[in-house]
Amino acid sequence: MTNSIYAIAIAGILSAGAATSALAADDSRFGLVPGGPHPYFAAWEQAGVDAAADFGLSAAEYRVPQKWELSQQNQLLESLLSQGYNGFLIFPGDPVGAVSTAEELSGFGAPIIAGAGCYKDPSPAAFCLGTDTGNSAYIGTKELIKAMGDGEKRIAHFTGFLVDPNTQLRIDAVARAAEEEGATVVQVIADIDAPEPAEEKINAYLAANAGNVDGIITTAWVPAVVAANALRKMGDSGIKMVGIDHDEVVIQAIKDGIVDGTMLQNPYGQGYVGAFALDKLRSGCTVSADAPFGSNALTDKFIDSGTAFVDASDADTYLEAMRAETDRLLADFEDKYLTCS
Amino acid sequence: MTSQDSTFPATPGGPNAGRTTSPFFLSNEFGLILLIIVFAVIFGFSAQGFLSQFNLFTLGRNSAVNIMIGLSMMTVIVTGGLNLAVGAMGVSVAMVCGWMIEGVGLPWPLALLGALAFGAALGFINGGMVVRTGLHSFIITLATMSIFFGTMIFLTRAESFRELPSVFSTFGRMKFGGYVSPFLLLTLVVALLLAWLYRRTLTGREMLAAGASPAAAELSGIRVDRIIILCHMLSGVLAGMAALMLVARNGAAIPSMAGQLGQDWLLPAFLGPVLGGTLLQGGKVSVLGTVLGAFLVTMLSSGLLMLQVGAFWVQTFLGLMLLVAVLLDKARRSYLARRNLA
Repeated sequence: MTNSIYAIAIAGILSAGAATSALAADDSRFGLVPGGPHPYFAAWEQAGVDAAADFGLSAAEYRVPQKWELSQQNQLLESLLSQGYNGFLIFPGDPVGAVSTAEELSGFGAPIIAGAGCYKDPSPAAFCLGTDTGNSAYIGTKELIKAMGDGEKRIAHFTGFLVDPNTQLRIDAVARAAEEEGATVVQVIADIDAPEPAEEKINAYLAANAGNVDGIITTAWVPAVVAANALRKMGDSGIKMVGIDHDEVVIQAIKDGIVDGTMLQNPYGQGYVGAFALDKLRSGCTVSADAPFGSNALTDKFIDSGTAFVDASDADTYLEAMRAETDRLLADFEDKYLTCS
Repeated sequence: MTSQDSTFPATPGGPNAGRTTSPFFLSNEFGLILLIIVFAVIFGFSAQGFLSQFNLFTLGRNSAVNIMIGLSMMTVIVTGGLNLAVGAMGVSVAMVCGWMIEGVGLPWPLALLGALAFGAALGFINGGMVVRTGLHSFIITLATMSIFFGTMIFLTRAESFRELPSVFSTFGRMKFGGYVSPFLLLTLVVALLLAWLYRRTLTGREMLAAGASPAAAELSGIRVDRIIILCHMLSGVLAGMAALMLVARNGAAIPSMAGQLGQDWLLPAFLGPVLGGTLLQGGKVSVLGTVLGAFLVTMLSSGLLMLQVGAFWVQTFLGLMLLVAVLLDKARRSYLARRNLA
């Protein structure tokens, strides 16, 4: 027993030394951490790999909490910091509840950037790099109404988790766009950004109410996929639809004329530009006092990572649209938002 | 809080009556201590930063919450029951605390007390329904899990309480000596009190007696119904304490803090007591075992995460651990029975 305790003590001293030296190392090792498993964030993995290669980082690794739950995310972030990761792009598991952990991380000198979703001010995040979700939903709804043409305009809105701070912004934006165009939002179904609830609720709703709906707007990934599949199964329903994101199912449905278009977001750009900015912040750059940040309900340090409407005419080239958004963002990012000596 | 904290006494009179005396080296607790040492050495050598100051601090903080959740479940398992609503009760207590501070404007100490009383009230509902209906607590708490969580979501509209006093988040980040979270100290104090309850008080012995054999306990003059309700109330308070620690950790009361319906708490709730040797049939409890079991589970989660085995495998591994622990305990008890050691 005494030997075991002795071994632990030795191991502790050695490992603590190793950890300390890792924290103090001069290389950039970043963690790209979403709130939980979700296809939207898959592009962060490649973005991290590309950013590490292009900017000479030690690593920019995509690490996913095992569940979409704040405690799991906190535990993952704590373990990454202990392993010597020294910068983080984080989708906050909760806009306020996640601030406490971010403060702990930044207390060790690790820069933090909020990606895809924002912390509520005040927070230690340098800024929030995400989709202007309200604007995206607004543009998408306008495109849907345009596709619906004349006649009745009854819209069903399928959207994401109620605990996602973006969800309410999307609901409000769809309602605003509909009101401006004289359309009616006849149904909002939220909290369905996972396969099981999305399949159950969307299919049940359309089975009962297909005749009472002229258009569908989806503002979360999984509902977009499920609704596109539902319209494909229904055949010539006459229902128009605008989705969100670039799942293969949605893109193919656009090509086949089942779905009218989708609102691209730019998760790749968030990961790529986020890693670039983390490296700059770690190298001594600071956020410019006069940076032209936007505002949303959570923060006054918002940067729009880009959004674009894709329809049948450019469904084959949507990747180029995403890359173009990323290039546009990166081109003058340092000049606009950072001060580097 | 020693090994074999308490076992059902033949007569609930004396503090040591009816205790079994198998050797400590054959106990769950000894096995857990060995496992903790073995894994600490493995992770210490193989996982970079595992023994760093920050990781040891977070390990203590996270294990404190898991231990409290385990203790909450343990207090009901003692009676031979289960509390599937442990997460739903916890998150409801947290939200009531947030509402009392933000909505009512109560000072935070009063809100904490009020929220814990609310946890006891939820436990009273569970215990009362178990007693009145005669149904197993599995069924009752399965139903109340949905009822409590659903009502909470309906009333809060899934909105968090985020404007809590800074004392909460300050407490959540506090470190003693750079390593020790006050959460851990609080949890250990609660564990000591529970060990005292089961070993030194008549009420504690009655709880064990009621769990081991309700009919015999009733004949001995124990009001089993009242004891069962009391155990559920205690469970509600402990679940509330775990949740309030999470509120302090996050600086906010969040409806999703224990997952959908509070189900994310179920695995840690069972792992601690079962690994620690608390009998699912009731009548025997090990507070020390629960503490060690929950700590081992938290350490394994932390170590596996740091070894980057893949976050999704951690949950699988913990489930396997639960299964192996139950089978090993069965084998251990068979061995002890064959040797007439228990």
